[in-house]
Amino acid sequence: MSLADSVLGKVCIVGVGATPQGSLPDHSADGIAIWALREALADSGLSKEDLDGLIVQPSFGGQGDIKEIGHRLGVEPRVGSNLSHHGAVIQYAAMLIASGMAEVVACVYGTNQRTNRNRFGSSVYHLGGNFDDVYGLSNPGAVAAFNYRRRMHDFGATEEQLGAVAVAQARAAALNPLAVYRQPLSLDDYLDTRYVIAPLRLVDFCMVNDGGFAMILTSPERAADLPVQPVTIVGMGAQSSFLELEHPNSMYHPSQLPNAELLWGASGLGPEDIDALYVQESYTPNVLSALENYGFCEFGTAQDWIQSGRIELDGDLPVNPHGGQNRMTYMVGWHNTFDAVKQLRGEAEEPERQLAGLETVLCTFSTGHWQSTWSLIYRGGA
Amino acid sequence: MSEYAKPLPRITELNEPHWEGAKRGEFLVQRCTACGHIWFPPSPNCSDCLSEDYEWTALSGTGTVYSFIVYHQGWLAGYRDELPYNVAIIELDEGVRFINNLVGVDNDAIEVGMRVEVVFEEVAADVVVPRFRPAAS
Repeated sequence: MSLADSVLGKVCIVGVGATPQGSLPDHSADGIAIWALREALADSGLSKEDLDGLIVQPSFGGQGDIKEIGHRLGVEPRVGSNLSHHGAVIQYAAMLIASGMAEVVACVYGTNQRTNRNRFGSSVYHLGGNFDDVYGLSNPGAVAAFNYRRRMHDFGATEEQLGAVAVAQARAAALNPLAVYRQPLSLDDYLDTRYVIAPLRLVDFCMVNDGGFAMILTSPERAADLPVQPVTIVGMGAQSSFLELEHPNSMYHPSQLPNAELLWGASGLGPEDIDALYVQESYTPNVLSALENYGFCEFGTAQDWIQSGRIELDGDLPVNPHGGQNRMTYMVGWHNTFDAVKQLRGEAEEPERQLAGLETVLCTFSTGHWQSTWSLIYRGGA
Repeated sequence: MSEYAKPLPRITELNEPHWEGAKRGEFLVQRCTACGHIWFPPSPNCSDCLSEDYEWTALSGTGTVYSFIVYHQGWLAGYRDELPYNVAIIELDEGVRFINNLVGVDNDAIEVGMRVEVVFEEVAADVVVPRFRPAAS
């Protein structure tokens, strides 16, 4: 049985919810997650009693656990579980629904990492951890910095070229009422921004903040009875990878290649069918890897391909039209699915931000700490 | 010599031979006695054939800079006081890659592909940390 037979086209997102993003000092991570779920349930027209699945991604530091959230919600769903990453959460929810194991599944995330000052700067990156700090290696952004330095060597990429990502995301975030960082950024501003880990500058990094998101998924049949325009999953891909920085093949997110092969093969779609791309970037160089590995441009050319506004809101391929993890919000991929659904429903809050003629969207997810990747293609309607 | 404020190696049963080797001026890594694969940093088993039988072998200590970064913001004790400082991925001639620092070269003069060689720095009493400098020739 293939993904096309079993899952694709058989699962819809019928509700999305968001809390304000930024600082939520009066709320616990669990409370933020439940707040987001209240919003998503209201959006879908469903109630908590309709849920027979509840999937939670605990936030960094272990807050937001299924047991605490389930208890506070006062629900007893058939399936309740933690999963480590947003892409895995959505895909598991989809498989529960497609298999008949569950009919209505809520996916929930909340964090108060900014308020808790639970950050990554001093964290060591990889499994050789007890050597990292001896040599001064800290902050997962170091991985992306090594990546871009190598791209500068391998393909002649420049720091100025990388600025196109931050400039595009800042322009998008400026129009997004949910975005935490909305100040404009020109290329000159970018080049004037201080280095954090050269060749990367401050605006090449994501910044931790508080917030939560939730989604409600169900079958197209159940979706037909609901008051909201569904968004359907029409493609899925995944590839785990545990490569370390030391591995000869670790620099450019190679796990995205087999991920893309599954994604395009099972969906019957290709890069030419995608109207907008959401990359969980964490750090701007990751946008370039995704563009190449998913086939939007040739390997080694993304730094050229993104120039002249190509990935901006009105470009050929809008990338992270919400501002991304760097400028919109630190929500480890959850903000991608939320915004993709809003955009596909034609509900971007400001007309200037609404992408025209949007039918098919690709969301890719990865992490700064390890190299596993997930991908989903969404289409408006059931 | 001012006191060394950077993090010191945390010696474990697994990694001790590497740090002991450094005191003798050797850069030791694990080598699988079943399939010959070499790897670093230390891990309890060979990631190629999963054997737990390995020996420690001294590598040449010469290689190239695979990639490098320069910290302008610091989070770790000692390093925080020496901004900007570099961290490099070194690829030894035997093919093993690992994280290290480049010494004896300005950060602005570091290049990917630069030839480097190991130097053993005694950073505290009975503690030797291998680092890398531009190769002599």
